[in-house]
Amino acid sequence: MRFNLGFFLAEAFKNIRLNLLMSITAVTTTFICILVLGVGLLVSSHVEGIIGSVREDVSVEVFMPGRGEEEMAALEEKAGSWEEVASVDRVSEDEALASFKDTFEEQPDLYENLDSGVLPASLQIQLTDPDLANSVAGKLKAEGYDEENLSYPQQTIERLNSVTSYMIWGLYAATILFLIASVLLISNAIRLSIFARRKEIEVMKLVGATDGFVRTPFVFEGLIQGLLGAGLAALTVIWLNFLFVDWSRQELTFVPIDGDAVNTASVLVILVVVGVAIGVGGSFLSVTRFLRKI
Amino acid sequence: MIRFSNVTKAYSKDTVALERLNLEIDQGEFVFLVGASGSGKSTMVRLILKEMEPSAGAIFVNGTKLSSVPRRRIPQLRRGIGCVFQDFKLLPNKTAAENVAYAMEVTGQRRRVIKTKVPQIMDLVGLSSKMDKFPEMLSGGEQQRVSIARAFVSQPPILVADEPTGNLDPNTSVGIMQLLHRINRTGTTVVVATHDREMVDVMRKRVVALDEGRIVRDKVKGAYADEV
Repeated sequence: MRFNLGFFLAEAFKNIRLNLLMSITAVTTTFICILVLGVGLLVSSHVEGIIGSVREDVSVEVFMPGRGEEEMAALEEKAGSWEEVASVDRVSEDEALASFKDTFEEQPDLYENLDSGVLPASLQIQLTDPDLANSVAGKLKAEGYDEENLSYPQQTIERLNSVTSYMIWGLYAATILFLIASVLLISNAIRLSIFARRKEIEVMKLVGATDGFVRTPFVFEGLIQGLLGAGLAALTVIWLNFLFVDWSRQELTFVPIDGDAVNTASVLVILVVVGVAIGVGGSFLSVTRFLRKI
Repeated sequence: MIRFSNVTKAYSKDTVALERLNLEIDQGEFVFLVGASGSGKSTMVRLILKEMEPSAGAIFVNGTKLSSVPRRRIPQLRRGIGCVFQDFKLLPNKTAAENVAYAMEVTGQRRRVIKTKVPQIMDLVGLSSKMDKFPEMLSGGEQQRVSIARAFVSQPPILVADEPTGNLDPNTSVGIMQLLHRINRTGTTVVVATHDREMVDVMRKRVVALDEGRIVRDKVKGAYADEV
């Protein structure tokens, strides 16, 4: 039998128009579910991005509170001789305060009352390769500098992970729940619209329509609704991402959030594909189940 | 053309719609199935369309044993049987012409063929001026004409009608019966289940009378009731 795409599309659009309220419900449901999924994707991408950029950090910092000038010079020389180390910079107490002031330039109340000496002097050890940070940290510990006085990426990553892992798990759980809810809601919406048209379907079957012929317009309907809901949600997610990145640049200057952490194109594709799959799958299954009953 | 062989249909242990019924309808015949409500007329129509299966016995349509037709071949079977119902069963969202065209679209007919065929058949049923009207804008008689046009547009070898005049006044009914008669004259086998006494008496066709699931009378050129 010929597959008459034009006929099926026309039927689908006509059904959407005639059952407008039901279609709006289905589109809105898809929109909300895909939006939640998209926000989940955004958050996890940004966390990944932050972790990635911290990992790229090629420096280890040794804080040296209360250590004398000589000790600093000795360590500077020793560390400079290790092959993993590219360079060593000494940061004095005054320099540390200046850099702190620089970072929080817009929040003067943070540093107004700080004197030189509050922030310890330190050595900034630049590495040849970020992967070597752990081994250098180990050597420094062997030199008698404990964990608290060291700052190297692994620490930050561990701290980040301990905070964000709960958040990410929560988001995943929420996303899964929302996806299940959306599949149920959408298939329910479709079942309702099929139920409203059960007489029509019975008539179609009586005049000799095959199951496929009856089903195809419904599947196209699900496709169009899924595409619309997911498309709108995906665009909203992209827009939210721009807002967030913009906001973080102004308000979270010390957090390395980067717009590039989110691959806009792949987020779009993933969200739209999931939305369309829900629409198409939902209508296919509901119609098939209904057809089996008559 | 249509053969019921020892067919029994029981809906439950106590409700037996047809009991060991034997009937043979030849090609080109015009047959009335008559009887009171619950005598089994509609059950016979639904069995012919394979809307349900008999409890026992076999039904043959066009030489095919219906019980051997798999579910997925039912559409093909139904395309060979035009059907008309008391409640018209038109698609409410389609115009008269679209309703007729739908029966051709399901068979994958080309648009060009549909475009020439639909006006012809609408003309035949006398509705060429109401092609673009939706069912709710048509009278009962007109809706039934549309449904007959839909049943006949693919020129199936068999046309079955279940109480086609059940919702219509006597004058309109005459028109519907004449239409069925004309279709029968093109060689189509027509089976009409009805309790419209007047119509049966006027038409003088074969009458098969049912009572509680059994054939109590089968008469060529018969009347609704036994003639004195």
